[in-house]
Amino acid sequence: MSRNEMTRREFLIRALAAGAGAYAATQAGLLSLLNGVAEAASSSRPTIVVASKGDIPGRVRAAVEAMGGMAKFVKRGAAVVIKPNMGWLRKPETGANTNPEVVAELVRLCRACGARAVTVVDNPVDGPASRVAARSGIQEAAEKAGAKVICGPPPAMYERNQIKRGKVLKETDTLRDILRADVFINVPVAKVHGSTKATAGLKNLMGTVLDRGAWHQSDSLDQCIADYATQVRPHLIVLDATRVLLTNGPKGPGQTKDLNLIAAGTDPLAMDAYAVQLLGMRPEDIGHLKRARELGVGEMDLSRVNIKRV
Amino acid sequence: MHSRVRRLRRLSQIAFLTGFLVLFGFAGRSLTLHSLGDGAATGWPLPADLFLRADPLLALSAMLSLRQILLPLLWYALPAVVLALLLGRVFCGWVCPMGAAIDLCERIGRIRGRRPGQAPPWRRVKFYVLVALVVTMLLPAAHRSPREPSLSQSLGLSAAYLVDPIALLTRTLTLSGVAPAQWTITFARDVNLIWTVAPLVEKRPWLGAVLERIGAALEWFVRPDSPPYFRLGLVSLAIFLVIVALGSFARRFWCRNLCPLGALLGLLGKLSPLRLRVSDKCTRCLRCVNECKMGAILEDPKQYRGPECIWCYTCLAVCPEKAISVTALPAGSGRRDGLDLERRRVLEGMGIGLAAVLLPKVDWTAKRTQAGEKVLKLSSERLIRPPGALPEDAFVTACVRCGECMKVCSTNTLQPAFGEGGLEAVGTPVLVPRMGPCADSCVACGQACPTRAIQPFKLEEKQHLFLGTANVDRSKCIAWIYGRQCMVCDEACPYDAIYADVLNGLPRPVVDDRVCVGCGECEFRCPVEPRGAIRVSASGDKRHLSRAQQRALREAASPRAQTESGTGTYIVPVPTEQDMIDKAPYP
Repeated sequence: MSRNEMTRREFLIRALAAGAGAYAATQAGLLSLLNGVAEAASSSRPTIVVASKGDIPGRVRAAVEAMGGMAKFVKRGAAVVIKPNMGWLRKPETGANTNPEVVAELVRLCRACGARAVTVVDNPVDGPASRVAARSGIQEAAEKAGAKVICGPPPAMYERNQIKRGKVLKETDTLRDILRADVFINVPVAKVHGSTKATAGLKNLMGTVLDRGAWHQSDSLDQCIADYATQVRPHLIVLDATRVLLTNGPKGPGQTKDLNLIAAGTDPLAMDAYAVQLLGMRPEDIGHLKRARELGVGEMDLSRVNIKRV
Repeated sequence: MHSRVRRLRRLSQIAFLTGFLVLFGFAGRSLTLHSLGDGAATGWPLPADLFLRADPLLALSAMLSLRQILLPLLWYALPAVVLALLLGRVFCGWVCPMGAAIDLCERIGRIRGRRPGQAPPWRRVKFYVLVALVVTMLLPAAHRSPREPSLSQSLGLSAAYLVDPIALLTRTLTLSGVAPAQWTITFARDVNLIWTVAPLVEKRPWLGAVLERIGAALEWFVRPDSPPYFRLGLVSLAIFLVIVALGSFARRFWCRNLCPLGALLGLLGKLSPLRLRVSDKCTRCLRCVNECKMGAILEDPKQYRGPECIWCYTCLAVCPEKAISVTALPAGSGRRDGLDLERRRVLEGMGIGLAAVLLPKVDWTAKRTQAGEKVLKLSSERLIRPPGALPEDAFVTACVRCGECMKVCSTNTLQPAFGEGGLEAVGTPVLVPRMGPCADSCVACGQACPTRAIQPFKLEEKQHLFLGTANVDRSKCIAWIYGRQCMVCDEACPYDAIYADVLNGLPRPVVDDRVCVGCGECEFRCPVEPRGAIRVSASGDKRHLSRAQQRALREAASPRAQTESGTGTYIVPVPTEQDMIDKAPYP
């Protein structure tokens, strides 16, 4: 047999491997999520971009541009899911929810890249969901920019999701749209929090599950947040630090400060570390961030992160 | 010609019943949205409780009870009064939504009274009921509130709302109608309709758009997010069904024998110039006697009782000889206006009215302090009133149990009280936090209360309208007993009334009773099942203080941050500008 020919055994093994690979590729959503993991693992120094010039939509554009442009993330015909903080029955000026202008600008950028569908979604803490969506200003702004807004999705829209590397959280029900999305963008707002001390991107992901109560009732809420972050990774995180809430978070009313910063990045832990130090805290003092670092979600030490100003 | 009038009457009934339902829907929806500032008022030129205002019995009871002429109420009630003076009980046959509902149910259920024909003496009962009501309106209530004497003039105000047909129908719809209607619409929309209608709609896309619009309009009325569920919903439905079922004894049993509004209109109708006349073509076939909805025609079919006739035009239409006609001349008409009441029964009715005033005294919750204030020591901890409510004794007297506040409540927390305040308080609104919180963004109940038992209030005032105090049950709270990270109550609290007591880095919730108003957001969101580990108790209810005093109390309460357990030191100060520059290496 010449060297170029395959033995029967080799052929069988390769065929099986190819078939398995093809099957995995059909789980397109999972694949793109795993891509995120691969990217995070492979990059040595994560990058955070901070935009501080111009009006708010301008800052959003500048931050995304500096990350390589939205076209790097959103290909033509992609299904995009944007997850802002739309959890509280509060007006935009209170700083409890994501600034609607930020969400709207991101929707516009995605549509400009030819996205097939842009969905803005959250499972709010306050109720009823329709009033939360209206009062936060996000529904109007996002719909005008061309997105579909789902606040308070019905149980049928969730799918059981195994948290493979979870220490406390083993499985949960995650929004199907997010699991199957081509691009998942997390748009948290930086706030203090009565329970976890601070909240940003990792905690924002709690709005993508059906049963949050189970996390609170578990042995460690912090561990659940960290566990979940290993499984559900956004492709892009855009941090809304336009108006941060400094007291009585997460709902307010409290003291706010207009920092007018928009940060963007792909390392969820680095983004959170940046967010909490804006609030005057240290990342290592935040329980869920420390545990996320232990699980390898990302880089918590900001001295090892490239912070670009634009 | 007569059958055309009959058809016109049915159309009129449908129109008024539909109008009633539409206004009912508007009342629930627009008032709530308007109060939340999420949507503008509908701009509908009619008030949503139009039917209640136009009801002459309720107007009479309001004015007699309060001993004053209420001009706006008079204007609203005037059309029905004038109508009765001209045409007798035409309201009952052409306008009244309860009458329309009864007719509709009798037609659908094919309920035919077993005893057609002349009304047995039961028809007098409605006049005795009216007598009892009027007596209660004239007598003072058993409790005179020292705080609001003008409100507690009589019991008659609430008694009328209990038996008036429009109030009854409104209450039935509120307590037992909205939630099933919403469920039906949602079910049809989500499940069934999609399957059955989808193939039809595929070929006709315009049909899809039309159905979509209809569905959206229906849902707009019945609040898709939060269909309201009510305690005592079964009771109110049962009462309505009994009223309808009584039709199997005699058609329109309620209208014939029990309705005090009908009695009042019948009395006014004695002055009406229009009457029915039977000509000599009458063959005494007695068809009219059998078909008459009200059993108003006497043994001699040429004679009928004026105070019973609702102008349904049935007799005119069914008479095979066309012997019946309408005339304005008294001569030749067989209208008998005599009420034929038994004096003994009238006195009994008056006696019942008198006794009704004393009824509240039978229950122990009637105990009053020396100052005349209601003794709250006997009420349940869960007697949490709506914001802006008058102090308890004035409240139970002023509240007419109309259910308007419960209808407009945006979170479905207001429920009819059952045991919380004793017999006196049954049917009055209480907050039930596990059903829903009292939203910090809503002022609907204060706007809706027709008797100002709930005084109107502004959004800014809510933070100092103290209804009660939340209390953490440290034997149930998972943070206190298991050391779990929760603080969902703190998250939920809109007034910053919960602070953290921190032990080894773990925060446990503590309620600041100087700030907590008892809104119930914490209790509503507490994940500990079934009743929550943090519960609102009526202790801390400060309705006896004026609004200015309550505001002063609230302003005096300075904010607290979290404390290290036992040390009382504040460990997380608010970062100053300098802090943020110094401590944020990557600003």
